[in-house]
Amino acid sequence: MLTLGEYIRLYFLIEAQYIKGQMQYRADFLISSVGMFFSSLATLSIFVVLFNSIPDLAGWSLMEMVFIYAFYMIAISPMQILFDAVWFLRYKIQSGEFVKYYFRPMNIMFYFMSERFDLKGLTQLAAGIALLAYSSIRLGLVWPVGKVLILILAVFSASLVLISIAVMAGSSAFWVVNSYPVLALAWKVREFAPYPITIFDGIFRFAFTFILPIGFIAFYPAQFFLRPAEISPLFYLAPLIGIGLFALTYKVWDLGVNSWTGTGS
Amino acid sequence: MTLIHIQGLSKHFKILNRHEGLKGAVRDLFSGDYRTVQAVDGISLDIEPGEIVGYIGPNGAGKSTTIKMMTGILKPSAGVLQVNGLVPYDNRIRQAMIMGVVFGQRTQLWWDLPVIESFKILKEIYKVDQKMFDEHLGMFHELVGLKALYSQQARTLSLGQRMLCDITASFLHNPQVVFLDEPTIGLDVSIKAKIRSLILELNRTRNTTIILTTHDLGDVEALCRRIIIIDKGKILYDGDIKKVNALFGAYRTLKLQIKDYSEATLAALQDRLTGTFGAGHGITIAQTEDCWTDVTIDQARTPLADVLAFIMTNFTVEDVRIVEISMENVVRKIYDGALK
Repeated sequence: MLTLGEYIRLYFLIEAQYIKGQMQYRADFLISSVGMFFSSLATLSIFVVLFNSIPDLAGWSLMEMVFIYAFYMIAISPMQILFDAVWFLRYKIQSGEFVKYYFRPMNIMFYFMSERFDLKGLTQLAAGIALLAYSSIRLGLVWPVGKVLILILAVFSASLVLISIAVMAGSSAFWVVNSYPVLALAWKVREFAPYPITIFDGIFRFAFTFILPIGFIAFYPAQFFLRPAEISPLFYLAPLIGIGLFALTYKVWDLGVNSWTGTGS
Repeated sequence: MTLIHIQGLSKHFKILNRHEGLKGAVRDLFSGDYRTVQAVDGISLDIEPGEIVGYIGPNGAGKSTTIKMMTGILKPSAGVLQVNGLVPYDNRIRQAMIMGVVFGQRTQLWWDLPVIESFKILKEIYKVDQKMFDEHLGMFHELVGLKALYSQQARTLSLGQRMLCDITASFLHNPQVVFLDEPTIGLDVSIKAKIRSLILELNRTRNTTIILTTHDLGDVEALCRRIIIIDKGKILYDGDIKKVNALFGAYRTLKLQIKDYSEATLAALQDRLTGTFGAGHGITIAQTEDCWTDVTIDQARTPLADVLAFIMTNFTVEDVRIVEISMENVVRKIYDGALK
């Protein structure tokens, strides 16, 4: 059986080879990176246009919105880079190809997810970091070491929430023949994440906090750095929610893996 | 010690009875109307280390279900199943260490990686030491000349090359048992022969147990000493291949397209064959597709050449094909008492 250290070693071995292989499709990498860049830019442009006609959004300034969005871009990167395979789960299940993941002496989720590594997500991560730095300079935020550590922890928690939402939606393929609508829905809901939860009404605010905790993806963490005075005590729950949600997601995945019987032969 | 021990093993699936139309679909949503399909129905068998066992049967007979239980993917509904003394379903990871699995239609190599990199990753997964790894690859190179393929990505390989690499990969960690599922499907004759001799050599030098599921009776004849035939979830035959070999070997089916075919032609053919070759001629006639007539001949009793010559001179035949007996026909013959 593999130890944690061996899993990590194996992961680097597989990804190094995978990236080498992907480098052959340089055009693919460049075009999709540019595409990703522009799609982020489009969201930012919406902010700019929006703030041209209104002075603030429920009390939040443009730069604060940019900061929240930058945080979101960073938090979503691990999901995009490391868990990209989740988008292909339904094809593997439909074709019966998924059966191969049972035959290796490895954790099945590890084996499955390690088969893809999304390079273009790295571009997004870099853009997110740059944007976070820019907005925090413009906002005059200071970053003592303690705050940086909290930032890292907050990013980690938010990433776990995003990964959980994607993997849970993807896992529906174990039971549902066409799981695309479920994935599309999860992908859509996630788009609410870079907005201040306070702009939503009661029902949505409740749902985005407790049912589908996308408030924890960007808003509650960003609030800590932007307006520590207004911070909701919920922020301190973020790591718990991230870890708890991922544990639940892993259970769902495991249930799917165990209940799936595969196609004929 | 017995490697695989199976006693009264069963697996049933609950399947929803679906209804027709939109109304039916809505009904199905809330329906508790299930039927039980008995995919594997109380089979018992023991497999010893070093055996090559042909596990065969028609489509839907329960072959894959059994293999999936042996490899720890499916949980048996009832019965005892032990591989190397352990229950596969409860010890998937540990069992995977001593098993190798090859699928004819799907590769388990990393699709975008050069073949040798896939091997290196497997080396890490199974913790194969460098010496054994080198020895193994050296041996494969000697047997089938694999080195030329090392730098190619798996997706650029031909089906036959890929199969050779997949088999290499499955033996890399020196497993105790290897499951081969249709290893020669879709391959041409020369590569088939190569793969068969490779499997035999591996079994001989390493005493690896091999469980082969296939539709290709040629594979079974070439590789297996023991054969297990399964149909409708039950074992029909388990024993020496020699006894069954007569069935595969002796029977040939003559497919004929007879000009101006009618019901009467079939009756006439039947009568005249009986007239010419006597009552115990071992020939059965069946009408299969639209215009093909199947004449199945037991060559032990009547030479195929004689029957063909007789038909050609007495009937106007437009087209003719000779085929080996199919899996379905073997099973039918066993039901008819061919092995009794």
